[in-house]
Amino acid sequence: MTLATLGIAYFRRRPLLIFSAVAIALGVAVLFSVLAVMNGFLAELQTSIRTISGDAAVDISRSRGGEFRPLEAYEKTLADVDGVDHLDPQLNWYGLIGRRGSAAVSDPRSTDLSGLLLIGVDTGFEDSEVESDAGGRPILPMRLGVGAAERLDLEVGDLLGVITFVEGSGAGSRERSKAPQLLQMSCRLVETIKTGRYDQDLDRAVFPRQALAEFLSSTAGFNELLIRTTPGADPVQVAADIERAMQLAGFTHPGYPTTFSWRDRGGNLLRAVENQRGMLSIVFFFIVLVAAYQLVATLTLTVTEKRRDISVLRALGATPRRVIRFFVSLGLLISLIGISLGLLLGQWLVQNLTTVEKWVGGGQPIFRAEIYKFDHIPVSVDPGSVVVLVGATLLVAMVFSLIPAWRASRVKVIDGLRSR
Amino acid sequence: MSELVLQADALRKSYRMGASRLEVLKSVSLTLQRGEVCALVGSSGSGKSTLLNLLGLLDRPDSGRLWIGGKEVQGVSNAAAARLRAARIGFVFQQFQLLPELNALENVLMPRRLASGNWWRRRNAEREAARSALQRVGLAQRLTHKPNQLSGGEQQRVAIARALVCGPQVLLADEPTGNIDCRNGDEVLSLLLHLSREQGAAVLLATHDPKVAQQCDRILTMRDGLLVSSELTQA
Repeated sequence: MTLATLGIAYFRRRPLLIFSAVAIALGVAVLFSVLAVMNGFLAELQTSIRTISGDAAVDISRSRGGEFRPLEAYEKTLADVDGVDHLDPQLNWYGLIGRRGSAAVSDPRSTDLSGLLLIGVDTGFEDSEVESDAGGRPILPMRLGVGAAERLDLEVGDLLGVITFVEGSGAGSRERSKAPQLLQMSCRLVETIKTGRYDQDLDRAVFPRQALAEFLSSTAGFNELLIRTTPGADPVQVAADIERAMQLAGFTHPGYPTTFSWRDRGGNLLRAVENQRGMLSIVFFFIVLVAAYQLVATLTLTVTEKRRDISVLRALGATPRRVIRFFVSLGLLISLIGISLGLLLGQWLVQNLTTVEKWVGGGQPIFRAEIYKFDHIPVSVDPGSVVVLVGATLLVAMVFSLIPAWRASRVKVIDGLRSR
Repeated sequence: MSELVLQADALRKSYRMGASRLEVLKSVSLTLQRGEVCALVGSSGSGKSTLLNLLGLLDRPDSGRLWIGGKEVQGVSNAAAARLRAARIGFVFQQFQLLPELNALENVLMPRRLASGNWWRRRNAEREAARSALQRVGLAQRLTHKPNQLSGGEQQRVAIARALVCGPQVLLADEPTGNIDCRNGDEVLSLLLHLSREQGAAVLLATHDPKVAQQCDRILTMRDGLLVSSELTQA
């Protein structure tokens, strides 16, 4: 360990080598934090897409001939598809919701009306009942995204109006012969829901499916099937298998897909985030490269200063390869110290991101929910990313250290021994 | 029967000085037997240090042949030369050439580590050998002292311990007492000669000092890059 002792002594006595380690630490910490945020953003985005849209979904409105079959027909068709755990029928429609209901149509003000997705589901309303107004018309219980509730200045218990149009004989029908009908109903806000996704909490209202179907005169009562897959099943594969089963059953046209995996639903947003993560990793890795460059400069300076020591080592029997190994090891030691400090600093940054965000933004949040979709900064430390980060930094440090190490191995022993 | 540990045949060395070449060694041949102690004397610039550098494989001759331990070493690679130095050659320099960041024990340990190669294994035996070498030069109490905490004489003793710790066949000493006072110089020289003889190493010792040379078995005299005489002493 004598050579290691010498390397550590060089490191301790030379502040510039310590600065190199600090520079590497800063680069690693920044990259660690950026990767944690991007991974967290991606993970929460994926989770929210799967929660809201299912692991896969069958769009019934795209099925053959626009014909709605009973739910049992779909359940029977998909029963033998591997990976399908269960189906959740859902009725999706659109409408305007406002405190003043239909009266707002003739006097619309932005704070009165909001265009929302009306979603009929089978769960979540077990404790709510459909009330009736004085005229005997139903008042549907409604759960509203917290963003929409704030925008309309609503509180739980408020009575609201819903306006929508349906074509033909009812919601989702392909029958175009009849003129569009204006529908209106009352509903009561029974709960605000928070998915964590700003955009999702701003644009959806959830109702009991059967009640919504009656309001919309929807005969089928659903126009989308959310598929939950069994643990370990690949949703993309399951979606493909469902599509095949649907075609065999004559429910769909070949080349006209109706089944989509959660990745299809996430589509461009997911790919954009994944691309952004890759691009940011490359950009921020340049900080590590600059730190590694500083390491080269400092090691080169050390080689120049320590020519006499190198010559003594060579005179005592160190081979040129041994000298190279010594300086590469010194570079790796410095980068290991830098990486360790960087990981600790990065972990601290990730754990205190909200504080850091306020500090950097002068008290104002930098990650605004309306832009970044989430009302908090999602973080997730991916061990795989950390391993790649550490490996890449070590590799760069090793390759860069080879330059001064090679110079050290070429020092002329006689000249070095004469130097002071 | 004596054993030849070093043989040089017609070694030449010149250096470029601008447009011309300065011939420093002009066909030098010599032999060293096992356990033999030779003084190399001559005025400054006569080529003593250059010859030591060539014999220690620190530099390459322009021509000539060289054998160490019976093996011809002319033309060996830098790596092979380094391994030969680690295994068979010890150096004692006028400037001591200790590594300032390491303590006395670590300095003496260094050649053992370089010779063994297996740096990751625990080497208690090597550490013990280094400790023993320092004990033999009278520095058992100075193991953890850095060079700047030692006197000139003590530093040269560390250098002697370092040169002998691997049990070299050849010890090359360039003015080993040139940088220390007379009293310490005599002690260092006695120690160097005593330990070398004890280990059976052949010694070639460059010196200006006739008193030092007289303590050796043989005196080789150099003048203008030539070995002009070889005389046995009464030592």
